[in-house]
Amino acid sequence: MAEIFVFALLSPHQVLKASSPLLAMHIPDGFLSLPISLLTWVIAIGLIALALQRVQRDLKERAVPLMGVCAAFIFAAQMINFPIPGGTSGHLLGGTLAGVLLGPWAGALVMTVVFIVQATLFQDGGLTVLGANILNMGLIGTFAGYYLYKAVRSVIGFNTWRGMATGAAIAAWVSVVVASLVCAVQLGLSETVPLQVAIPAMLIWHVLIGIGEAMITLIALSYIWRTRPDLLYDPPHQRVSSPRSLLPR
Amino acid sequence: MLLHISSFQLDIDSQRASPWHQLVPQTRVLCALLFVFATALTPNGHWWTWTIYAIGLAIGIRLSRSTLSVLLKRVAIESTFLGVVLLGTLFRQGGTVLWQWGSLQITTLGLMILGSVAFKALLCLLMLNLLVLTTPVPALLNALIVLKVPPLLVAILASMYRYIAVLIEEFQKMRQAATARNLMRYSRWQRLIMGNMIGSLFIRTYERGDRIHQAMLSRGYTGLPPAVTFSKVRQPDIKVLTLTVIWLLLGQIIYL
Repeated sequence: MAEIFVFALLSPHQVLKASSPLLAMHIPDGFLSLPISLLTWVIAIGLIALALQRVQRDLKERAVPLMGVCAAFIFAAQMINFPIPGGTSGHLLGGTLAGVLLGPWAGALVMTVVFIVQATLFQDGGLTVLGANILNMGLIGTFAGYYLYKAVRSVIGFNTWRGMATGAAIAAWVSVVVASLVCAVQLGLSETVPLQVAIPAMLIWHVLIGIGEAMITLIALSYIWRTRPDLLYDPPHQRVSSPRSLLPR
Repeated sequence: MLLHISSFQLDIDSQRASPWHQLVPQTRVLCALLFVFATALTPNGHWWTWTIYAIGLAIGIRLSRSTLSVLLKRVAIESTFLGVVLLGTLFRQGGTVLWQWGSLQITTLGLMILGSVAFKALLCLLMLNLLVLTTPVPALLNALIVLKVPPLLVAILASMYRYIAVLIEEFQKMRQAATARNLMRYSRWQRLIMGNMIGSLFIRTYERGDRIHQAMLSRGYTGLPPAVTFSKVRQPDIKVLTLTVIWLLLGQIIYL
């Protein structure tokens, strides 16, 4: 996440060119201080242990193949660049999408696995700050994102596409913005970047990124809602409404 | 995101013979972990600590006979994030002001943090790249099991690693199909197609997961990965590990 907000200073065109492979949402090694690293690691390890337990219980011996391919799916989805309104491009972070599709525990586990592989094999995000990255995107992005989505969906209409769409879009946007805010605070508290610089820079950039995230999450979910609603973690009880096809005719 | 997608084989130097390669994978992982944590969590400004660590790392890289050009190229790609700290440096208060232009200023404190973070990040990247370049992924995963990472987590990691390339290829096929049908012309269309592709990719993924599960069951899978044989820890492993710990402590003692 850290490398993103340097782009806040560049023009959209430069961002488009520069950001394509580098728009990762990960803090590198050496950016967080000892107390912040330790604290976030402790929380992250607790989350991983709980998620493993729940997933093992719910999925039994399906856990390994299913979680494995789903993690690979999020990994692949994160590589896809798409244009964001306003001339820049971004890519999916996928926390809320994973939560909506797989549920909070499996979703958080999948995101965690993605981060571990990115940090260990591709040095995308550091090892000492892996706890922070898991906390920001796994716990806040996926777990909190899922419950926000579910709350909004229940209020507007659990079985309607409108409820589904509103819930997912709001959750996707909020989770990205809040995760970036927490990341900025972590960088600030570690005194790597002054707080009054980190927060506005991260927020401005991620308010935009969040719009892209919400749009792509929404379109992907509309496809699944139309074709295989039974695959959603909370499938609609009966087909009440179906979204208009988003494809141009 | 995936910076090294063009070179999907990561462990290009894993077949060499060197003192580093004689170590069992878990020793290498443990050395790398200790090194990275010690380096990254040292408070800013401890230059001598990192200098000592850098000397140790240089000896390690020399001994491992890994391909320097590849190592440096990978580190260079991964170092682009340093721009963030640079940005922070420009707006930081505190210390002596060396240069000022409007609200932008460079202070001694800012420079100290910039230098420290860059040094730390660089050392960590070098170490981790050395590990990944010289150790095949299956060996890394085995090492994780020996180091008491939950087997379920390692099994999921292994199964994910196996399918990354498959899913990326599947996605690229879909994108090629869309491009061939001239569907990528406008950004509005592009978003819709990409979103639909992700949705469709998920359905395919989920079904693939079920098929993999069936295939695993038919081959006698019971819920836990088959036991692997571990390479035994030998004399040199213990020596290197002790040496690493002493070296890391030496770096810290200077500032006590």
